[in-house]
Amino acid sequence: MDTEGSSGSPEEPKKAKRGRSKTPQKSNESLLKQKSPAEFFAENKNIAGFDNPGKSLYTTVRELVENSLDSAESISELPVIEIAIEEISKSKFNTMIGLVDRERVDKELYDDFESTKAREKRLAKEARIQEIQAKNVALGKKLKEAATVKGVKGRGEAAFFRVTCKDNGRGMPHDDIPNMFGRVLSGTKYGLKQTRGKFGLGAKMALIWSKMSTGLPIDIVSSMRGQNYVSFCRLDIDIHRNIPHVHLHEKRENKDHWHGAEIQVIIEGNWTTYRSKILHYMRQMAVITPYAQFLFKFISDTADKNVTIRFARRTDVMPPVPPETKHHPSAVDLLLIKRLITETSKKNLLQFLQHEFVNIRKSYAERLIGEMGPDFSPKMSVKSLTSQQIVRIHQLFRQAKFDDPSGDCLSPAGEYNLRLGIIKELQPDLVATYAGSPQVFEGHPFIVEAGISLGGKDVKQGLNIFRFANRIPLLFEQGADVITRTALKRINWNSYKINQMQDKIGVFVSIVSTKIPFKGTGKEYIGDDITEISSAVKSAIQQCCLQLKSKIVKRLQARERQERKRNLNRYIPDASRAVMEVLQQMAHDPEAKQLHSDKEDDEILKKVASQEISEMTLRECLTQHVEQVDYEMALEYATQSGVNEEPREAIYLNSLEGSHNFFNFHSPVFVFRLIP
Amino acid sequence: MSEKKRRRSEAATTSKKPRPSSSYAESLRKQLKPDSEILASLRLFSASSSSSSKTPDLTLADLDPSSSSSSISVSDRSSTSVKLSIERLFLSLARSILSINGFSFSIPSRSSSHHLFLPHLDRLVLLRSKPSSRPFSSLSTVRKATVTARVLSLVHAVLLRGIHVTKRDLFYTDVKLFGDQSQSDGVLDDVSVMLGCTRSSLHVVASEKGVVVGRLIFSDDGDRIDCTKMGIGGKAIPPNIDRVSDLESDALFILLVEKDAAFMRLAEDRFYNRFPCIIVTAKGQPDVATRLFLKRMKVELKLPVFALVDSDPYGLKILSVYMCGSKNMSYDSFNLATPDIKWLGVRPSDLDKYQVPEQCRLPMTDQDVKAGKDLLEEDFVKRNEGWVRELETMVRTRQKAEIQALSSFGFQYLTEVYLPLKLQQQDWL
Repeated sequence: MDTEGSSGSPEEPKKAKRGRSKTPQKSNESLLKQKSPAEFFAENKNIAGFDNPGKSLYTTVRELVENSLDSAESISELPVIEIAIEEISKSKFNTMIGLVDRERVDKELYDDFESTKAREKRLAKEARIQEIQAKNVALGKKLKEAATVKGVKGRGEAAFFRVTCKDNGRGMPHDDIPNMFGRVLSGTKYGLKQTRGKFGLGAKMALIWSKMSTGLPIDIVSSMRGQNYVSFCRLDIDIHRNIPHVHLHEKRENKDHWHGAEIQVIIEGNWTTYRSKILHYMRQMAVITPYAQFLFKFISDTADKNVTIRFARRTDVMPPVPPETKHHPSAVDLLLIKRLITETSKKNLLQFLQHEFVNIRKSYAERLIGEMGPDFSPKMSVKSLTSQQIVRIHQLFRQAKFDDPSGDCLSPAGEYNLRLGIIKELQPDLVATYAGSPQVFEGHPFIVEAGISLGGKDVKQGLNIFRFANRIPLLFEQGADVITRTALKRINWNSYKINQMQDKIGVFVSIVSTKIPFKGTGKEYIGDDITEISSAVKSAIQQCCLQLKSKIVKRLQARERQERKRNLNRYIPDASRAVMEVLQQMAHDPEAKQLHSDKEDDEILKKVASQEISEMTLRECLTQHVEQVDYEMALEYATQSGVNEEPREAIYLNSLEGSHNFFNFHSPVFVFRLIP
Repeated sequence: MSEKKRRRSEAATTSKKPRPSSSYAESLRKQLKPDSEILASLRLFSASSSSSSKTPDLTLADLDPSSSSSSISVSDRSSTSVKLSIERLFLSLARSILSINGFSFSIPSRSSSHHLFLPHLDRLVLLRSKPSSRPFSSLSTVRKATVTARVLSLVHAVLLRGIHVTKRDLFYTDVKLFGDQSQSDGVLDDVSVMLGCTRSSLHVVASEKGVVVGRLIFSDDGDRIDCTKMGIGGKAIPPNIDRVSDLESDALFILLVEKDAAFMRLAEDRFYNRFPCIIVTAKGQPDVATRLFLKRMKVELKLPVFALVDSDPYGLKILSVYMCGSKNMSYDSFNLATPDIKWLGVRPSDLDKYQVPEQCRLPMTDQDVKAGKDLLEEDFVKRNEGWVRELETMVRTRQKAEIQALSSFGFQYLTEVYLPLKLQQQDWL
């Protein structure tokens, strides 16, 4: 396999670094050692997201799900994916690998051994707690849950999980399976196009991790469309040689014409700490891929820990499969040009430029060749270029002006799908979505889509940020991410009538590109230093907010209308009391009567004195006034806003599978079908 | 060991450092002439200034008839006339309510866009604008309208009984409706403008804040007060200026002090006995009573006023409030503003002149610098070239200092050297 093939991916510098950093370490032996890619990743598994058992479980799930999605989408099949995580207890694990459980003989040997002193201490503590509780009971205080005294936790208490992922995708050719899983940095996704995975690491890293933590092989069941057999393969990886080590590879009967893949791997993990991350990941994946159906299960011995979540399909519309595209001249490096030259089928330089890159037309290619200098000609053989000449081409590519690459090769989630996903998973009160136009960063096109939701279930107050890159949810390292920073610092939520602290705001931003500029090794966040991307994110969010603002203002008006009467009425007692106090004092003050000689005024004061006009009279008059005003305002509001309601959302009905018996109820306009 | 030695030698040099400057401060002390000479020159100045200020106080109407119609000014009115206007207003409200029309107040706007500094009057005025209506029937104003009605009824009750209440009293009579004292206070100002009378005529006063000490004798509600016999704390300035009458004084000037600490130093050192003067402080931003009192003294006693404020933008802001009024009370600036106050100290140029040591100067924050630059744009500063120069020095050096910075030469340096020298040199702007 050509591992150099991961063009422009961060893999190359990393590998170069490895070569340098490893050699001096062993310099005392002054022995030049070679390391296989598999070995390198086994030692630096944090690069691929396998930092600790918990994160490894999360990353395993993630990689398997993403592979399944890619596989189903590649054959334009609506994805149906089932993920199961099964907890395996230690004794079960031991029997599985044929290890007999041994009793501890030398108890003091163990880390969690409790010395007599420690036990005395613990017993004394427990006795004290019991005493306090007894006292509390005697005093009739509410009994609190007795704090269970946890024993000292040992180091070796590893938890094991069987992760199974089944999809309805393309499946794999029978003979390729060993190499697809047993060789790090080999893959089908190299090449310039928008993909979820890129490095050809995911499933293999899961295998390496299983080999490191449990030593158990991986089981693969796969079948392609129209195959009359199912491939079954059990293999692990020879880390030192980076080649697959096949235990079993056979063809089995395919009874129900199933196609797809099922991968089962047993690894060490930690469900307790990464439970919420994994569930969040599934939920966000369901948001960004509403056309897929997910079934997530967690199975353990204790029944109350079990989780089963079904993320139903909400639409049949699937984004198109992103096509592979040619390189943009401003985004290539020397190595890449050399590789393109070796791979090209074109004979001369003119054809090479014209066909191996985007945005170079024939006339433009001729102009470029003319600019390169006298030792270049359109008809010269492209394979005979000297390395100096290639450097010249590279330099010209850097300096010349080219049209920006188009976004045709991208496959964004689609505003419609994003909207459906948000509505499906969050059920918000309000939602707005926006899809930006394609833009360019360093020769790679990108598209930013955004959605803002207000309210909804399981949403906390304040900003809830959901980040997606190439339609994968990003969950870690949120703080430094361009989306988080933009939403927190550069959007003035107040100006859109959104309360940043109190409203339940969901911010969804999806960025797709042929190359996502991830920061750090974990592919978990996009840096905030790229102005093209940050301004695109900002404007996308602002567009959503603008849409929301008009809706919010309308709602506020409606609410104000409803509450006007109540709010006005609230002040009637205070106002009438204030007026009445002065009037009464005037009525009882002989001086005042003389001063106000006006006839009408005099009459009012007399009526106040005779209690014909009381505070209640004023209250009634004000209430009447408020009624009148409210009626007028309501009329005005109705004439202004008309009767147009919010547009109704279309409902999606899942198609029923299989054949059913039904009765037809006929009516002149429709048929109602009842399935008993 | 060597380190200890070094530290000791360092300490020695630092302790030596202020010595030249303090000796300089002492040399300034030697420049002082005998008090009698200073007093003589002051007397001369005081006499000349009192004769020059004999020109009657100009009102808006005197100066420019057109401007009086374009700006709002309120005047003191008797309690009966204020009471009468309130009663008339309420009768019209009652009529409107009884005819099912609700009620509404019409109040001149007091927003900042309606303020203007008039150089020939030396103070801020409130421009007359289309009065904003405050109807009960609108959601945005229903609350304010109710609060206004309530405040008016309370003021009416106070006037009827012929007593005075504080703003806080007023607020507590209906806490539930007012909610926050700033609301009832704001409405009180609205009511003043609406009725065209000063806040004192409403018989609502703020609690005591300002203090006076020195060569002043006056009657407070009939009691004769001698401000030289008020101890160090001084006499609290009565919140109700109507109680003050029969001012008498043999002082040569009035000394306005920004802060309580400096005031205490001056009072304890009996500065007013060495140089006959009246010392006033409002402990920060001046309240209405202190400003009215100062105005009263200035007009009746015809004394020059010197100000001793911090050398920072806020010191100058406080000075500006004394001189041309605050925006909040601009409708009453005629009664509140005391033009022609001399800036005695501590001025930015004094920092170098008196060699105030570096450790007593503070760097100005960006906010301070901005405040300073904003002040340079203000008309009342622009009018006085000396002030512009001082302010420019402050903004350029980005250094500020408090009055207390002078204490670095000794606690009594302020009263023993700084102020006498300033007065001797007639160093005011």
